[in-house]
Amino acid sequence: MFSIPSSLGMLHSQSVQLLCLTASSGVPLFCRGSTKQLPFSIIGSLNGVHMFGTGHDAALSCCETERGGRVLWRVFHDSLMLIGISSNADVSELHLRRLLENAWNCMVLVLGLDELANTRNVERLKRELRSCYRLIDMLLERGMDDRDGDRGLMGDLTHCADCILFPQADLLQETLDAFTRAAESEFGCLLVRGRLAVATEKWWRLAPQELVLLSALANLPPGKTSCDCPVFLPQGSPNVALRLLCFQLLPGAIACVLCGPRPSLYHVENEQVCRFWSPVVENLRSCLDQAKRSALSPSVGLRRDVLALLLINRESRRSVESLGHACSKATPLLSPARRWELLRLFYTFAATRYFSSEESPSSERPTAELLHEEFSAGFTHLPVHCYLVTDECKCYAVQTPQHQLFLLTDLSVPTFALRSVATHTLDAVTTATGF
Amino acid sequence: MAYREIGARFEKNSACILNEKDEENDVAEVSDGSDAESSSSSYSEYSDELEPEWLDDVQKNGELFYLELSEGEEEAVLSHITATQSAATNHVRFSEKEAEIITDKGSKKHADSSRKSQPKFKKLAKILGRNRHPSQRSRADGKNGRTSQQPASILKNQSGQRTGLVVQQPYLKDVCVYINPKRLGSISPPTSEKGGLLEALLGVVLRGGDGLSCNGERLVIHGLVPHSPASKCAQILIGDVLVAVDDVDVTSENIERVLSCISGPTQVHLTLETGIAGTVMDSEVPRPRPTAPVSQLVRLLWGEDTTELQMSVAHIPHIIMYLSLKLDSESPQEEQEILYQYPVSEAAAQLKGVRGIFLTLCDMLENVTGGQIVSSSLLLRKQLVHVGYWKEGENLLVIGLPSDRVPLLHLQTVINGLVRTLRVMYGSLHSAFCEVENAPRLDHFFCLFFQRLIQPSRLSDSPGSSPSNISGTLFLDDLPAMRWLTLPPDIKVEVDTVLSDFESSDFGDMSEDFYGMRRLYVILGSCLFYKGYLIANHLPKEDLLDVCLYCQHYCLLCLGAEQRVGQLVVWREVFLQRRSQPESRTSTSTSTSTSQPGYCESHSRFFLLVVGLRHYMQCVLLEAGGCASLALGSPGPDCIYVDQVKATLLQLESLESAIEERLSAPPTPSLSCADWFLPSGGRDRQDMIGSSPILNRLTAAIKPPSPGTIGRSLFREAGSGLKGRKPSPQRSVSDSGSEGRSEQGDFGLRMPSAGTRRDSLGSGGSDGSGGSGGLFKIPKLKQPNPFYLGSLKKSLTEREAEEMQNTLKLTAGLENTLFHYILMETVQGIFITPTHREQSQLSGSIHPQLIRNFHHCCLSIRHAFQQSLLPRQDRRGTDRPHTSRGLGPVKEHGILFQCKPENWTDQKKPAPTMTYWVIGRMVLEPVPQEFYVCFHDSISEVPVEMAFRLSFGLAM
Repeated sequence: MFSIPSSLGMLHSQSVQLLCLTASSGVPLFCRGSTKQLPFSIIGSLNGVHMFGTGHDAALSCCETERGGRVLWRVFHDSLMLIGISSNADVSELHLRRLLENAWNCMVLVLGLDELANTRNVERLKRELRSCYRLIDMLLERGMDDRDGDRGLMGDLTHCADCILFPQADLLQETLDAFTRAAESEFGCLLVRGRLAVATEKWWRLAPQELVLLSALANLPPGKTSCDCPVFLPQGSPNVALRLLCFQLLPGAIACVLCGPRPSLYHVENEQVCRFWSPVVENLRSCLDQAKRSALSPSVGLRRDVLALLLINRESRRSVESLGHACSKATPLLSPARRWELLRLFYTFAATRYFSSEESPSSERPTAELLHEEFSAGFTHLPVHCYLVTDECKCYAVQTPQHQLFLLTDLSVPTFALRSVATHTLDAVTTATGF
Repeated sequence: MAYREIGARFEKNSACILNEKDEENDVAEVSDGSDAESSSSSYSEYSDELEPEWLDDVQKNGELFYLELSEGEEEAVLSHITATQSAATNHVRFSEKEAEIITDKGSKKHADSSRKSQPKFKKLAKILGRNRHPSQRSRADGKNGRTSQQPASILKNQSGQRTGLVVQQPYLKDVCVYINPKRLGSISPPTSEKGGLLEALLGVVLRGGDGLSCNGERLVIHGLVPHSPASKCAQILIGDVLVAVDDVDVTSENIERVLSCISGPTQVHLTLETGIAGTVMDSEVPRPRPTAPVSQLVRLLWGEDTTELQMSVAHIPHIIMYLSLKLDSESPQEEQEILYQYPVSEAAAQLKGVRGIFLTLCDMLENVTGGQIVSSSLLLRKQLVHVGYWKEGENLLVIGLPSDRVPLLHLQTVINGLVRTLRVMYGSLHSAFCEVENAPRLDHFFCLFFQRLIQPSRLSDSPGSSPSNISGTLFLDDLPAMRWLTLPPDIKVEVDTVLSDFESSDFGDMSEDFYGMRRLYVILGSCLFYKGYLIANHLPKEDLLDVCLYCQHYCLLCLGAEQRVGQLVVWREVFLQRRSQPESRTSTSTSTSTSQPGYCESHSRFFLLVVGLRHYMQCVLLEAGGCASLALGSPGPDCIYVDQVKATLLQLESLESAIEERLSAPPTPSLSCADWFLPSGGRDRQDMIGSSPILNRLTAAIKPPSPGTIGRSLFREAGSGLKGRKPSPQRSVSDSGSEGRSEQGDFGLRMPSAGTRRDSLGSGGSDGSGGSGGLFKIPKLKQPNPFYLGSLKKSLTEREAEEMQNTLKLTAGLENTLFHYILMETVQGIFITPTHREQSQLSGSIHPQLIRNFHHCCLSIRHAFQQSLLPRQDRRGTDRPHTSRGLGPVKEHGILFQCKPENWTDQKKPAPTMTYWVIGRMVLEPVPQEFYVCFHDSISEVPVEMAFRLSFGLAM
């Protein structure tokens, strides 16, 4: 492993903190992400400067300090203030911004918008928010931690559903559809190693941020094989709770159904799961095997010098990430962790500077778009490709009306060949998988 | 005599009287012609009885900023009538502070008196100026169209038939005229019996001509003095009534007083009432509009009329504040922590209102993220504002700028440049902001600063500059390098020789041997600009950057590029960052340390002298202390040095045509226009590509070298120099061309033809700089060099032949695909990029967009390079290891853009697209270079090769 020594790694994973306070009174609700909590006076001043600004019609958005430290303020629904703090240059403004949005969506997902927007009892809210900790911690560790399970999931950053592509998806799709119908629902999906393998049509219609969070929520804690938890969909139904039923089919393969009050967890688990999923268990096994290697189906022929790639379908807001085979002999091999890290960094770099975010303007706050600068708005012409040559690898990004591809290649690829490598890879993946 | 005078000069530190003609010449052969030629006009003009016109403007602390437009510029403004002797030169005092005057002769009396009353007048004008717009509007409404385009009909010289109409109502018009009170002193003392200042200054004769009665009569114009400003402007008619001067209402009672408040040459607004008795008016406007205002930039530099420019940016939130972090809790006063603030607009007031945020964040964030705050963003009135911070000691500098003007990733560069400039000018931020007398100067400085950042297009009125290329200005201005113009080697050698000669300080009257005393200053080096391009630099890189930052913040470079500067003299103490860093203490407190006896280490102080003449500008760094004598107090500019620089520039004028030729030469490497690659341009692409370089070359070749301009100036100056032997009453006309031209016949014997253009310098040297006694110091060329001319001619022909044969093409393949490039040599602090003229030749609809895009992209690319230069030098000294690696060092970064023609109306066919690359590359070995290039997508290029080829052509 070429990655950072463990002591620094510790610092690394703890360098992002999330503070949550009530917007009106500034009462701290929780603080996640660090073992060492900030002193109360500092939390108070962080909140105070923002409140002071709001009083003077100046909304404080972001601060940057030397060596890449950052503080980001966001107020959601005039009720809760989230403050993200990072002391790590690798945590970009985009990352922090997404983190705050995701954390807010998490809280809505678990508690519902009503509960959060109209706080009556602060102490009670504080207690209730504890149920979000697991999810929020998971998001905080994304892209920070080297834990195997989450590796390469980038949905929190890209706001695209992480997918995994299988060659034999038809059978699984049929099974899932039947299973979902049996559970008296139209929303169902199959997650393999945290990524969406197949899902019902309605499931795909959920907002991408919701898909990302539901996938994270369905990632069961070890030891549990099923769960039934109430969820509010931040965009779809922020005030009416639905039930999310999750069943572990095999270690790493989870089927989820969103349903109303009707079928009980017991009923579905005992009657439907076995009935629908046991015939395809071998299929699932082979899928899991494949998933260990790559999120792309083996039919896709990647070049040997591709280190990692991220492919985003801009219309359906789905993404596929994969590491390449990477058997270069010329240069020292980059560790998978470093490759994922570089991919995230490169995505952030290209997405913040050149490829404007194409997310639908968030319904809740149109002014939220104004709180950060779109550097790409300054271009008179449309950026379509970009590349970087660094000491470790070469990065290439392609944007077409349909797709965005972010590619890391080995240094041995000549720079002038990068473009054809990237376009061929894009062609190869899209034709082979129809993504 | 010389001894005595030098001694006097040392005492007074500012007088410049030195009569060179009395001096013994150590040069043997003296001929009349060479004498006249080599002695510069500046010299003799300022000799003895006459002192330089900038002397009045020297401020108490020795600083000087003197700007005078050349007569050529004013001719352009007046845009009619051939040049006459009386074309007024124009200058305005930079500061209202009382100047240190060496009282000389009575000729200054008038200026003195007027100076005293000037502030009052300005204040009055300001007060009245506030009411100006509404009142004008009402006039316009009431009096049926007060158009600014006035028919120019003067009763006494009407010509041609006109279809007239009779205006019955009184009709107000505004007329701008240039007046120059300084001329008065030399021509005749203003006598009130003869019509007073009104007649002397404006050339307006009042009714009766028997002087003014002080009873508040209306000022009816009875006559116009020929060649006076009033008659030249062709808008002042006999019978008009002078109502107001600069919006100050005037009557016979106060007119003399008002006019006497005008101390320096300036543009004056006259409001006249006309057409009372049914004057025949033109219905057509037969002539071009006679008056156009002086460019905004010049007005800004003069320090006048900043309100209008400020108003135009008042709605855009921007602010600079210098705040104290140490609060005196004993005596809590309102806003006591604000040490300095600019501007005072509503939007700025809002930012000022939230200064508590900035102070708190600065205080607190170090404990939160472990680093000093660098920037913050906040949303103000739906506009995102980036705020940059710079902490020095116990104080905090805060700059707020709108995000659509300065992207966040560039903010830091802007602030670094600003802080460095302030340090160069004042030594430290503290001394800049905390000394009260600096406040007006800082106001002016930041007015320029914000105008430059927020609306750079308002400052320049050159038609070639594309509107609102904000990114371009941002990127190019903040590169740690200067725009370099590659010159043909022979020209380069000549320029360097002239500069070296100057820098050797081997002037007869300055050598230590000659006078047996220490010289005032040692010349550390100088750099030379032509039209804003650096063409020669003899300064170390850091010093060059210091100097250039100053010039850039005062827009001196674009000033020289756009208009011919009559005369620019800037003098000030500078604190070179390279040198003063370790000993900043001593340099800031020289006054105390010099009083202490005993050994002190280096007391060097540095002075910057900038002299601009026409398109040339030379910046000279002088050192006092060290091996030169110590500078005491705050010395003003020394005439000898100013004159030497002027002489150098005059000497270089002979090369102007050669440089112009280089500027008008076809671009090498040749460039393509983006529009050629799109069929929608309506032009045949192949044709354009094929023909344009040839056309360019042809025009360059056909363009006559115009012997009139070549060396004209030199001869002209020589002419006035000759004339200067007898006391010339016309001195204040300074370098007006007419005088010289009239005498050209006398010694224009050797009026060079195109071929001998270059030998003007050579022969000047070879004939010996006799009579002028080393003022024209070309010691190396004293002996006629038989090879000198020959080699020059040879190189010329070679170069031309080369030009004709091949135009350097940078890209491979059949077509040239290069659109734009920037190459920066980090070590030398220079960069090359296509000249403005080369850019304007490639006009099109897409191309300017492409250039803008290119620059915007370069901001991002360079930021990526800067980010990756790890470990980044921490600006506050502390260096902590990075826990994160980020993307790692970026060596190359490229972006492919796609563009479509605008207004594509054809529904059937999809719009054609053109794709192009913008690629940046940073090379650290062997020489650190940064290279930005923009080329068409059709051929995949290897940028290294291009970089190499381009840098190969950069002859240093």
